[in-house]
Amino acid sequence: MPIRSLTATVAPVFLAAVYLTTAPAVPHAQETTENPFTTNLDVRMGQRVFRQQCGRCHGRDGAGGELGPDLTNGFQNASTDAGLFSIVREGLPNTQMIGINRSATDQSVWMVVSYLNSLNDTADVDLPGDAAAGMQIFNGKGNCTNCHMVSGEGGRRGPELTRVGNRRDPDELLSALMTPDEDVAPRWWTVRVTREDGSIIEGLRMNEDTFTLRLMDEQEDLWSFSKGRIRSYERIETSIMPSVDGVLTAGEVDDLVAYLFSLRREES
Amino acid sequence: MKPFVIAIALLVGAHPVFGQPAESQPGAAPSFSPVTWERLLNAADEPHNWLMYSGTLDSQHFSRLDQVHNRNVSELELKWAYQIPQLDRAETVPVVVDGVMFITEAPSNVVAVDAATGRLYWRYNHPLPDDLRICCGRNNRGVAILGETLFMSTLDAKLVAIDARSGNLVWERTVADYRSGYSKTAAPLVVKDEVVTGIAGGEFGIKGFIDSYNAETGELEWRVDTIPGPDHPDNQTWAGDSWRTGGSASWITGAYDPDLDLVYWGTGNPGPDWNGDVRMGDNLYSDSAMAMKHETGGLEWYFQFTPHDVHDWDAIQVPILADLTMDGQERKVMMWANRNAFFYTFDRETGEFLVGEPFAKQSWAEGLDSNGRPIRIPDTFPTPEGTLVAPPVGGGTNWFSPAYSPRTELFYVQAFDGEAIYFKRDEEYVEGDRYTGGGQQYNLPMDKYQSFIRAIDPKTGNLRWEYEIQPRSTAGIMATAGDLVFSGSVDGYFFALDAVSGQELWHMNVGRLVHSAPMSYAVDGKQYITIAAGNVVYTFGLRD
Repeated sequence: MPIRSLTATVAPVFLAAVYLTTAPAVPHAQETTENPFTTNLDVRMGQRVFRQQCGRCHGRDGAGGELGPDLTNGFQNASTDAGLFSIVREGLPNTQMIGINRSATDQSVWMVVSYLNSLNDTADVDLPGDAAAGMQIFNGKGNCTNCHMVSGEGGRRGPELTRVGNRRDPDELLSALMTPDEDVAPRWWTVRVTREDGSIIEGLRMNEDTFTLRLMDEQEDLWSFSKGRIRSYERIETSIMPSVDGVLTAGEVDDLVAYLFSLRREES
Repeated sequence: MKPFVIAIALLVGAHPVFGQPAESQPGAAPSFSPVTWERLLNAADEPHNWLMYSGTLDSQHFSRLDQVHNRNVSELELKWAYQIPQLDRAETVPVVVDGVMFITEAPSNVVAVDAATGRLYWRYNHPLPDDLRICCGRNNRGVAILGETLFMSTLDAKLVAIDARSGNLVWERTVADYRSGYSKTAAPLVVKDEVVTGIAGGEFGIKGFIDSYNAETGELEWRVDTIPGPDHPDNQTWAGDSWRTGGSASWITGAYDPDLDLVYWGTGNPGPDWNGDVRMGDNLYSDSAMAMKHETGGLEWYFQFTPHDVHDWDAIQVPILADLTMDGQERKVMMWANRNAFFYTFDRETGEFLVGEPFAKQSWAEGLDSNGRPIRIPDTFPTPEGTLVAPPVGGGTNWFSPAYSPRTELFYVQAFDGEAIYFKRDEEYVEGDRYTGGGQQYNLPMDKYQSFIRAIDPKTGNLRWEYEIQPRSTAGIMATAGDLVFSGSVDGYFFALDAVSGQELWHMNVGRLVHSAPMSYAVDGKQYITIAAGNVVYTFGLRD
């Protein structure tokens, strides 16, 4: 029986006993540098392990959390599968990144590696749209560069998209274009601050805590407020991005999706 | 008491320098405005900001704010702390622009926080490969800024440009191949519309250089080799092919004189560090100060502090520029307390050596000759059996910033009185591997040695006062117009001294190694003093 399936249900004492009795037999050493577990099933199994062991810090879907960085947009400290394996297994010295539960098998670590790679999948997919035409729409009719930056060009009032193809699949991109209000990350909510003199400052919510909040207004100016020194503030949890539905044709939307999906990290 | 009177006078006139109305409140105006070259040139005129690594282009690490001064410094209290999410020791000196602070973190990340509260605006995480070559920790010391763009060095030997309002990546340039041992840790220096930046890797047999990049496009404008190629006569100062792997890195931030259009930059040890047999000769331009015309990148003059260095005494110090009256003559000088334990003053226009005196314990030179060249004591080179020499590898001082106060006309340096046994061994060069040819060992427990903050008169090299630090310090120094000198220690103290007398006025246990330099700024008319200690950035201000 895999140890992993026990961890959520058994009592700590029993767990300790399992660990003590099975530890010597569990191969902890990394014996290969190529990932032997890369099937779709391995990815799904890896996802399950990830959610149990890594999600608390890195977010349930690996998009980053309070403690751990976003893992869907390339990796900061590993450039190979073996490097990923080593970090998942051992952690990163001098950081809060600790290694996976020591009772985890090498197999399950490799599965996590496969899952992490799937979050950064750069595999080509057949898409109906044309990326070159999509780029024209992005830079022209779509007015996308008013708010979005690609390779340093464009606005700041929407997410940076230079590598968006690494972190969003075509379905997600389509849905973000058609129904942008459906799933708005808190970073892109709007806050409307009424100052003590009654004037209003409104902008994107860059960061907020119990006592303070910071925003970027329409002119891309940065503001910081102490909540105790403003009259009130209102949080608007919709996106400032308009839907492309009805603005672009279905073909143009496909082109735009193809272009956005083509924006990926260059592999060195 | 003269300093007292001066401080009062400055305090009365202090309000306008904050550049914001006295009734200004948080949220009354937007934070951050673009930093033009004009603003950088005149950074001293907006002391509420700290616009570059050393504060101003002359690198004095001097704050013109005087709200906190030598009579009220005891009222300093903690205003906020920013916890870096990596445990590596911080070496960062933050930059502050109109209420926004930019803090670099290990390994190669940067955050923007509200300078009044320490709360986050944005974060940029730089992706890194897992086979980095790093000699001495996952360090980053800070950013440079021009317009709305930040410039940062990364451990994989890249220079990145980051949008200062959003943290978006604007461009990225590979400066050198990290797999050959190159890395980048120092804050770049903006000069006009270019970004001047050095390289690290002196323990890996790299071949050093200093670069200038177009700030807008990231294109390389010029590269000055810190080891001249075979077509240059100075190449003859390297035996055989040793110049190809001779190190001479450039891993700290330099200074700039706009009137002379000269960029000043220090270079590191020749490689291999401790075995000079394979690189006989002076090994130019290792361990040197280099003065380069910015317009062309042409080398105007150089001064080599330690010819044929075999003790790893990098000239990786921040050059400090000032104008002094010496022997009745106005002099544009450059001051330099070197790792080799000697303090130097030069004419920075010509490179003429003016003053040279030891400022820390040393046993390797009888002194300096009339040109500033050391007169070596025989038998002080490393041997397979070991040779006891002062200073140790860490030097009489090291890379951490010294400071200069134009009010006291004193140069403040972190000095270490220590010694070590130096060893040499044979070592083959393998690309990407360490290439040092030896090492050192302390012959006594570290607590037998100690550091001092030393205040030096740059006109004579004479010691004005010293402040003893037990056990020792590897922290930088800031001087202020409030006649204060701030620094810290390895055991986690942050303290303030009187800049005139050296008397201790205030200290605070911040709990962990202070390994960076303090800086100061103001928001809404309130002066703050910031220091990174351990992996936390602490900001202090006067009691409200």
